Amino acid sequence: MGEDKTSMSEERPKQKTTAIKSTQTANEAYKVVKAQYARAREAVEQGAPVAWVMVSTCCEEMLKAMGVVPVYTENFGAVCAAKKAAEPFLHSAEAHGFSRHLCSYARNGIGYVVQQKELGMIPPEAPAGGMAYPSVLIGGSHVCDPRYKWYQALGRYMDVPYYSVEILEPPIDADFEAVKQYYIDYMVTELRGLQSFLESHLGKKLNQDVLMECVHTAEQTRTKWWECYELRKVIPCPMPTQDAFSCLVPHDLDPADRESLAFYERLYDELKYRVDNKIGVIPDEKYRLLWGGGIPPWHSMGIFNYFESLGAVVVMDITYYPGSPCPEVADYADPLERIVRWMFHRFTEWHTRAARGCGHPIAQRLLEWIDDYHIDGIIMHGSTSCRASTLGQIFFKNVIQEHSKVPVLFIESDIVDERDYSEADMKRKIDDFMEVVASNKEKLIGQGGCS
Amino acid sequence: MAGDDLAFALEIYRARDKRVKELKARGKKIIGYFCCYPPVELMTALDLVPYRIIGDIREPISRADGYIETNICSFVRNCFELSFKGRYDFLDGVIIPHSCDAIEKLYDIWRYYQKSTPTYFLNVPHIIHQGSYSFFHAELLRLGQSLEGLAGKKLQTEDLASAIRLHNENRALLRSLYRLRVPDPPLMSGSEAIKVSLAATALPVPECNEMLRDIISEVNDREEPLPSGIRVLLYGGQIDDAAFVDIIEDCGANVVLDDLCTTARWFWREVELDGDPIHNLCRHYLDNIMCPRTLRQGKNHASELENRFGYLNSYAAEFKATCAIAYTMRLCDTFEFDVPNLDDYLTKQGLPFFNLELEYNLSSMEQLRTRIEAFLESVAAKTVRS
Repeated sequence: MGEDKTSMSEERPKQKTTAIKSTQTANEAYKVVKAQYARAREAVEQGAPVAWVMVSTCCEEMLKAMGVVPVYTENFGAVCAAKKAAEPFLHSAEAHGFSRHLCSYARNGIGYVVQQKELGMIPPEAPAGGMAYPSVLIGGSHVCDPRYKWYQALGRYMDVPYYSVEILEPPIDADFEAVKQYYIDYMVTELRGLQSFLESHLGKKLNQDVLMECVHTAEQTRTKWWECYELRKVIPCPMPTQDAFSCLVPHDLDPADRESLAFYERLYDELKYRVDNKIGVIPDEKYRLLWGGGIPPWHSMGIFNYFESLGAVVVMDITYYPGSPCPEVADYADPLERIVRWMFHRFTEWHTRAARGCGHPIAQRLLEWIDDYHIDGIIMHGSTSCRASTLGQIFFKNVIQEHSKVPVLFIESDIVDERDYSEADMKRKIDDFMEVVASNKEKLIGQGGCS
Repeated sequence: MAGDDLAFALEIYRARDKRVKELKARGKKIIGYFCCYPPVELMTALDLVPYRIIGDIREPISRADGYIETNICSFVRNCFELSFKGRYDFLDGVIIPHSCDAIEKLYDIWRYYQKSTPTYFLNVPHIIHQGSYSFFHAELLRLGQSLEGLAGKKLQTEDLASAIRLHNENRALLRSLYRLRVPDPPLMSGSEAIKVSLAATALPVPECNEMLRDIISEVNDREEPLPSGIRVLLYGGQIDDAAFVDIIEDCGANVVLDDLCTTARWFWREVELDGDPIHNLCRHYLDNIMCPRTLRQGKNHASELENRFGYLNSYAAEFKATCAIAYTMRLCDTFEFDVPNLDDYLTKQGLPFFNLELEYNLSSMEQLRTRIEAFLESVAAKTVRS
């Protein structure tokens, strides 16, 4: 009996849980990811520096200019989840005393290091060939606390120097004229500290001209990626969110690379062609949805295609929105100040409008996007182990619904850890939600409020 | 009130808003604050009465679930619940620092729904570099200016210096009180000490200092010693109720020192008196508050462990602790990340260590008691063998 079961299970085709992408360029994204991990492994073989880095620490241009190959450990969590390779790493971290409630990116990364240390080599099951051993670690306080606590905890297993970059956002009700300069000064000081750290540990100087060139490329990359987002306002939408969540990789991981810029130029051209020829994601785009919060469940991205099977396309997303270009950077000749001003602009773009509008910049942004992107429903993903991306979702829903009748769906799972995930439950919630979306849209059409 | 001061402190512990409500009725303004980071000296200097906001472990969370997700630490959810139920209606203002992700984001929600009470945000650097002090200096000036509006008066340097002296005296008195647990058996229980600490953050500092002087004298005069037991160093975050300590002490142990967000963590070190008061506050709050949310990098892992946990070793030596129990609040990321390293460090120091990952409301008390008893028995067995 038992043997029969094994045999059946072996014969059963593996269920696809990754998302089917709509654009050609999005299908190239994983190649970019694998190439980045491969570059890092080659760098180690050649004695070149590799940095493990947290996303959004403002150091991408600096690393590029110094010839350091970055490996983004949060991205590795997403890759492990998508490739169904995370569970052994999660178990390893938990066996070493790290609570199951902690960020699953961090548990995945810590478990990877535990195994790497035990084996004396990259764990053979690691996807994308695994993360090369780092020369330095660069953490940061932006977005969440685990982004500096994780690397601090790694000291238990690896004797690698680390630096954490402090990046603080002003409060939503701050007087920006009063605080802007000292917030920017602080971030610039933090980056100068990172520069000293890198120069000291890598034994080479940062060339300011090369850095400025990297800054210019990164600004172009960010602008082009934002232009791609702008095209998604069109009906039918040329690129769904699952594609955007793949295409973000060059932007987030290596924006100062000319290849990254070329990637977004290709993507933009493809999207423009689709817009000009009215090529949508599905043949009949009945409903347009907004991913209104949360990091996606990387282990089950196919859930986006389930929405499509019900006539809905997720046309916009807030989580990795690149932000509009910063108009004031052209006035600054110091590359670090340019980096910081761009970042500060990205943090605070909606603050002033929120003060005149609904009162909160994230809710304000979602409300504006409901109009700009012709949204029929909002999805928010609460991640069990990611508190920073989850806390506030109910609040945003409450604020939005003071101003709009667009329905909001809450789905719950985790970004990496799928041990408690039920696809059937998820689909039931989506079915119920789509009925509400459909009914709401019919009512609006009946009232002449929706085209 | 001589001789009754401990009773008074215990009464304030049970009804922490009692005294501040009386003061409010007389025209005083009461300012609530979260965590160890908002400088109480600024509030006192502006004639505002600082009131530490805590939760209530006996209050079930119901309404807050409509506003805050359930995977957020239950302390934050509990405080929001209490605010919705009007428990903090007497406050004239609230300061919410960026101490952790949950408290930071609480600011937006609190501010939105408690519109009638001014809410102030204080950004606090997590990672201490040289530039952190200038930034925090600017943040404190900004907070001071905002509080001037609430207080209706200007912040004067001499008032701030005087407030620092008063609060330093308060810290010194609390340390003296805590050192009454150095003898074996201790002169006061851990449960009493925590209750007094919690009362201390609900009183104006001059009154509190007077109360503490009398309590110290009262406890020193005690004739009946406490029973002697295994000496426990308690480490943890937001414990704002003596119930957990009661469980440990009911098992026959003495909690001889509690390094918690609500107790020794905020009063063990003092603010420098010489020089610019705002500068001294910056140094104090960034350097002296030993909370895992603040990262102070060392030259290598060993030196960093010493930076982070070395003070616990000093506590254990001074208070002759024979073991350490950590209360790690579930979903409190910064504490939870530290557990394996803390375990390594204390074990290396020869201090048996027991971590309990618990909900804020201490559900399953009896299971908890059993686990603590088992740990204490293992410590006792080791002590006998050695």
